[in-house]
Amino acid sequence: MTPDDRGYSEFNRIRGLLYQKFGMTHVTIKIKPTDEHFLTQFNFTLMKKGFQLKLAGLLLMTALLAFTCGKEGNDDGDNPGSTDAFKSAMLVNYADNLIVPAYTDLNNKLGALNSSVNAFLAAPSELTLAATREPFKAAYLSFQGVSVLYFGPASAQLLNNYINTFPTVPTRIEKGIETGTYNFNIPQNSDSIQGFPALDYLLYAPDAVNKFSGANAAKRKKYVQDVLGRMKTLVENTLSQWNGPYHHTFIASLKTDVGSSIGSLVNQFAYEMDALKGPRIGWPFGKQSNGIVFADKCEGYYSGISAELAIANLSSLKNYYTGANGDGIADYLVLLKKQELNNAVLAQFDLTLAALNAIPKPLSAAFVKNPALVEDAYKQVQKLLTLIKTDLASATAVQITYQDNDGD
Amino acid sequence: MMEIDQRSLYRPVSIAPLITFRITFGVLMLFSLLRFWWRGWITSLYVEPQFHFTYPGFDWVQPLGNVGMHLLFALLITSTVLIILGCFYRMAMLFFFLAFTYVELIDASAYLNHYYFISLVAFILVFLPANGDYSLDVYWRITKHKPFVPAWTIDILRFQLAIVYVFAGLAKLNPDWLIHAEPMKTWLPAKSHLPIVGPWMYEAWVAYLFSWFGAMYDLFIVFFLLNKKTRPIAYGFVLVFHLATALFFPGIGMFPYVMITSSLIFFSAAFHAKLLSFLPGVKLQATVNQDGTAPGFTPKNVLSLGIALYVTLQLLIPMRFLLYPGHLFWTEQGYRFSWRVMLMEKSGAAYFTVKDKTGSQVYEVDNKKFLTPLQEKMMSTQPDMILQYAHHLAKSYQQTGLEDPQVYAEVYVSLNGDRSKPFIDSSVNLAAQKWSWKPIPWILPYKK
Repeated sequence: MTPDDRGYSEFNRIRGLLYQKFGMTHVTIKIKPTDEHFLTQFNFTLMKKGFQLKLAGLLLMTALLAFTCGKEGNDDGDNPGSTDAFKSAMLVNYADNLIVPAYTDLNNKLGALNSSVNAFLAAPSELTLAATREPFKAAYLSFQGVSVLYFGPASAQLLNNYINTFPTVPTRIEKGIETGTYNFNIPQNSDSIQGFPALDYLLYAPDAVNKFSGANAAKRKKYVQDVLGRMKTLVENTLSQWNGPYHHTFIASLKTDVGSSIGSLVNQFAYEMDALKGPRIGWPFGKQSNGIVFADKCEGYYSGISAELAIANLSSLKNYYTGANGDGIADYLVLLKKQELNNAVLAQFDLTLAALNAIPKPLSAAFVKNPALVEDAYKQVQKLLTLIKTDLASATAVQITYQDNDGD
Repeated sequence: MMEIDQRSLYRPVSIAPLITFRITFGVLMLFSLLRFWWRGWITSLYVEPQFHFTYPGFDWVQPLGNVGMHLLFALLITSTVLIILGCFYRMAMLFFFLAFTYVELIDASAYLNHYYFISLVAFILVFLPANGDYSLDVYWRITKHKPFVPAWTIDILRFQLAIVYVFAGLAKLNPDWLIHAEPMKTWLPAKSHLPIVGPWMYEAWVAYLFSWFGAMYDLFIVFFLLNKKTRPIAYGFVLVFHLATALFFPGIGMFPYVMITSSLIFFSAAFHAKLLSFLPGVKLQATVNQDGTAPGFTPKNVLSLGIALYVTLQLLIPMRFLLYPGHLFWTEQGYRFSWRVMLMEKSGAAYFTVKDKTGSQVYEVDNKKFLTPLQEKMMSTQPDMILQYAHHLAKSYQQTGLEDPQVYAEVYVSLNGDRSKPFIDSSVNLAAQKWSWKPIPWILPYKK
């Protein structure tokens, strides 16, 4: 046997062994004979063209699928491939027949309020002050019709925080008026010195006409005008975004995840119900404070329209739930064959509204005089909140979390 | 020459699959951690919460504060780079395992099955010589070049994947999943926006197709991956299945990609050698015996015992739910650490009331003051978290001067499309209940 022959047979033998033992099919083996105990070196650099092709195909396929997923993962809500006619029509109904009219209404009501307040500031008297009452109430009630829409443009401008954080802090407002230095643009910090609650405090002060009269009232007048001006600007901006690019974003977003239109609506339903249970009724009622009533924590405490505001808030919520005359989440439940749940939610809306209506006004007085009625309304609110937070959220596959996260 | 048992855990096999595994694991973890940071989750999960849900026996695991947590993640990210390069591999791997697991142990409300999987794989990798080739450790001669590794090093990873798949499959064998196609029936209509397939998402048969295909896939994919003949097709299924889940359920995060890359471990050494040859400078070389056999490995009793113990635990832990009475999805006793992935739709609302010793003082709790939205959501459906939170409330109210606070909870839970029902006994003072491994007596029985 020549060394070459030996090498060749060795090559075949080892290749066979390697195949058997290690499953290596495509190997080049370099034989480097030494003396008695020769060592064999091999490396598997040899590649078949077929493998490369297969691998390239696999990578291409992965890339394609990943690309589709990546597109899917876009957070802008724009989805030109969307095909769900029901959801599209529902969102169009929300945008065109409920949301835009609601912001338009608030915008108009704020305009009317602004005129009447300016008239009062120009000539303070009981008469001109009285003329601001109805416009104030109308505007505040109108706000309840957009309160649930705290996503998209409203959320981007922190509209609700700036316009309706209650209770307001009178000492800080008075200090602002006195010093003439206040900044309404600081998130959180300035929330409780502006918006409806600030107007509520200023316009409904027991001796408001006096406070707004005379030489010293200039600063107070300016403060009111600044508050109103800012409210108008914020609402105008929100409305113009709804009339502009956000309209398309909203109606084209057919997903249900965090930040999607349906996801935002259902989450905000729960959020508003939470606010009704806590800040609007429960907290001033003393639920957090061992029954000690904090009536001045009410929404619209000074004007005494807390109950009206709460009822307007819930009525508007029901309107958004049903979609009014068009398709809404209620109809979506029917489409999902959850008619029974839909009936239960509607019935609970009515029960809760009835319980709220049963409380004698003003709410702040009822906390002490009619605690049983308030307690009943509170319980109905909690039942409705539970239905929305669990049953409705589950049925629509919406996660009740205002927080982005993974989950499995 | 000693005959090497083909089934032996110590038979020599090529290191190539381990090299692929080390590199892909490192790359995936690097990407995953950067994504976690970029999305602001370090802050929202580990800095912002004032309270954390801990695991039994691990309540000493607490976050390190804003700077500390970000620094820890920076070190974790560094360790993944070292793992990819095979540079001080053992140390990097040990650090990764400890730090990653530490982060996961901080808050049980952040539990995800694939984080648990990553912790387990990281633990295994600490013991594997995955730096034995194509690594800086070899290049700098910090470690010996090891073209061959004992077979257990690869088999244990295959076993771990098999555990994930098979238990995930077994978990799906329940009436809700198979007979009612829930939660698919609930989840799929939410996907009607998808191009092409969108309109079908309302159809019941599609929900059944998804449910049954998912169950079959999980149950059997491992066996098709193990079989050489069916492997390429099976891997095609792996790709399609996991990319489809990524497409349909983006909230599942990194899980699909973790499974897609990890499943490569089932391929032959030759496949991995070819795959690796795409990388620059790969020259997998080996020295074999005169007869073409590789140098054998000596079985070690301690190691065999360790492997046996690990395997046994992995088989038993997901089965522990059998020790608890009641409906598993409802009670969730023995639910975690059992590969129950995307298995049910559950949501809840929890209202807590704190009373003083005599019950004359009553305070309702605003959960938002104590928990993040995510924590509140997770707590509302999981009894052990409800209890932990109740204890935390008792402590907090005691600090404000309330004597021996009693804590009561009214909780409503909706499971797999059912209407919500009372979840726990609202007359039980949770502050007086102790956590134990025993069945929780105050969970109300599940009624369909």
